[in-house]
Amino acid sequence: MDFGFTEEQDMLRISAKDFLAKECPKAKIREIDKDERGYDPQMWRSMAELGWMGLIFPEEYGGMGANFTDLVILTEEMGRNVVPGPFFSTIALCALPLLEYGSREQKTKFLPLIAKGKAIWTIALAESSGKYDASEVKLHAVLKGTNYVLQGYKLFVTDAHVADYILVVGRTGEGKRPEDGITLFIVDAKGPNVEMEAIPTIGGDRQFKVSLDKVVVPKDNILGKVGSGWDIVDFILQRAAVLKCAEMSGACQAVLDMTSSYAKERIQFDRPIGSFQAVQHKLADMLIDAEAVQYLLYQAAWGISVGSPSPWQISAAKGKANEAYQRICIEAIATHGAIGYTMDHDIGLYYRRVKAAQFVAGDTDLHREVIARGLGL
Amino acid sequence: MDFRLSEKELALKEEIRKFAEAELPPDLVRNTLIDGEFRDFEFEVSMSKKLAQRGWLVMSWPEKYGGCCASLLEQTIYEMEIAYWGIPGAWMGISGIQWVGPCLMMFGTEGQREKYLPLIASGEKDGVWCTGYSEPNAGSDFANIRTRAVRDGDDYIINGQKVWTSAAHRARWCWLATRTDLNAAKKHHGISIFIVDMKSPGVTVNPILNYYGRHHFNEMFFDNVRVPASNLVGEENKGWYYLMQSLAFERRSLAPTTYGSLKRILEELAEYAGQTEYEGQLLSQNPVIRAKLADLAIDLEVLKMFAFQLACRISQGQIPVYESSRNKIMSDEVMKRGAITGAEILGIYSQVDPDSEWAKLKGAIQGAYLGFPGQAIAAGTAEVEKSIIAQFRLGLPKSY
Repeated sequence: MDFGFTEEQDMLRISAKDFLAKECPKAKIREIDKDERGYDPQMWRSMAELGWMGLIFPEEYGGMGANFTDLVILTEEMGRNVVPGPFFSTIALCALPLLEYGSREQKTKFLPLIAKGKAIWTIALAESSGKYDASEVKLHAVLKGTNYVLQGYKLFVTDAHVADYILVVGRTGEGKRPEDGITLFIVDAKGPNVEMEAIPTIGGDRQFKVSLDKVVVPKDNILGKVGSGWDIVDFILQRAAVLKCAEMSGACQAVLDMTSSYAKERIQFDRPIGSFQAVQHKLADMLIDAEAVQYLLYQAAWGISVGSPSPWQISAAKGKANEAYQRICIEAIATHGAIGYTMDHDIGLYYRRVKAAQFVAGDTDLHREVIARGLGL
Repeated sequence: MDFRLSEKELALKEEIRKFAEAELPPDLVRNTLIDGEFRDFEFEVSMSKKLAQRGWLVMSWPEKYGGCCASLLEQTIYEMEIAYWGIPGAWMGISGIQWVGPCLMMFGTEGQREKYLPLIASGEKDGVWCTGYSEPNAGSDFANIRTRAVRDGDDYIINGQKVWTSAAHRARWCWLATRTDLNAAKKHHGISIFIVDMKSPGVTVNPILNYYGRHHFNEMFFDNVRVPASNLVGEENKGWYYLMQSLAFERRSLAPTTYGSLKRILEELAEYAGQTEYEGQLLSQNPVIRAKLADLAIDLEVLKMFAFQLACRISQGQIPVYESSRNKIMSDEVMKRGAITGAEILGIYSQVDPDSEWAKLKGAIQGAYLGFPGQAIAAGTAEVEKSIIAQFRLGLPKSY
């Protein structure tokens, strides 16, 4: 057993930290939060130049050939810095399944553009209930000649307004199980009959209702096989859970660091508030939560890296992160007092993103269910 | 990064499973958390000897002291499995294996090592230890101890009182913290550790029953007890440093054992919930129970990772600063939650005496329920541990 990172991994983390400290200070994040686009194209290009978009693509698709744990390290640093933008939707939600399930032609066509930072992608999965459940997929696709015609709507589609392509999860048939008859379509986001309506969220991220009204998709733009798309959705949800967990892990550490620094500086009753045990013990609890998330994350990420993902470990990590991230933020605000409740303070940036993060790839109840089934319940 | 267990580690798990199946009586009561390990002492010691014969009892010690140079990771896995199967006798009282041995290897003389380590490794009664730390006025404020050791020729003469001494009634030796310098600038400075033969004249052991009437700990009186100077551990007045090290060793082994015993409890609760109906519905179908057991399972997974991370860190020769405290807090927290959740699942049966034939799961839940408040105090309260994390990991100002 080995808890250590390789030298390359340490380097990757340091270079990500350096870049983000310089290019993505909190002032920048506030600026982006107000910007319609929700990201900074200049920073996006720089990230692509550093090789972040194609980090785990093979070289033939313009990538760096790194492994999943490397991507987790990078994502953890992005989460630490609450970097806004479509990195998660493009890479975690779309590029990974393209790489795994895409045809040779699809990969050659799409992956190099992603690696260069020239294409933004997102996935359209959730419908009315917002649950990641196959029975929820109602958007239907009917074959007409060599094309499919898609009809329906999707909710909470992240970064849809800046996306070039949307991976749309649709129903092409009915089977014994709700998972049967699901197909993934690569839809031109800027094409005809694709309509978007913003769903304003507390996290400041950009989410949309995407309506497809007789959108024509050529057969070539199906990802994987017709009717067995739920396997791909499973694949996506597992990786997305771990990568979102990585963002949350970085965020937990950042909030803890911020709060422990504040507790050393803030003087009340003639001494730093960090000398009071009521405050110290809160911070100790936050540290234990943050480390719990970290080690569960690394375990789950490692499983994926070596080709044996464990649903149990993934759910343990995301389930823990969902609760710990929220708890840490709330305790951090309490420790800061009123200043932590202001627009000017950074903690709000983290707290406001809790809800969005919790629902990506499964809320705590969903992951508890995976664990409960694993226990034989 | 690599979280696989090696072939050797997996084989060890399997061997312990077979050992447990072959050696444990099927009706073994599993409420050890409330009893400690000293109820059926003859049976405990017989198991200690068998563990010694298998080369497991002190597996991570060097061969010349009776070990077989196992890695700390193997030791951790062994501790998890021992606790999972509920194999008694693994600790030789309380302290010999976990911290007296390791501390003697770090700070003892060669003479002390040669005399005491093989005794512990033998699994015989003469290798059973207790540890004299707490006193009536020195609990969390441990440096406040007053038991005095005064040099007299080639001996020291010890006077004082210890309390909450686990296994003192079974121990042949005591690892004793004393005050040797009354005039030291700080109270942490005048402390020394001695090895005391419990058969020495002037040693008195009185039982203190816990709130369930079980005899786990004791009070000890030292009345002019003469101890040879060669029984001083390390340097005189440097004892505080050794004590902190010993507590780190003690807190380390808590996570693997808690993990093992709770993993077993969790599996049995899941099985019980799948077989037990309440108001026409299987307990396993109850969403509240599903959620509680899932949360427990997640935190057990955390405890496992914490235990392995600490073992790996120590194996790399690093001195852990706060991890033992973190693991102690996490262990106590999940044990508490496991006990409470378990009791909720047993419902009205959770109040049945753990030894009774009415008890479900061989009394394991009641044992945990009655035992966890005690475990949470031993080796440092949550408050003390959290203060350690705050000061030594987060760099916050000292609070006391």
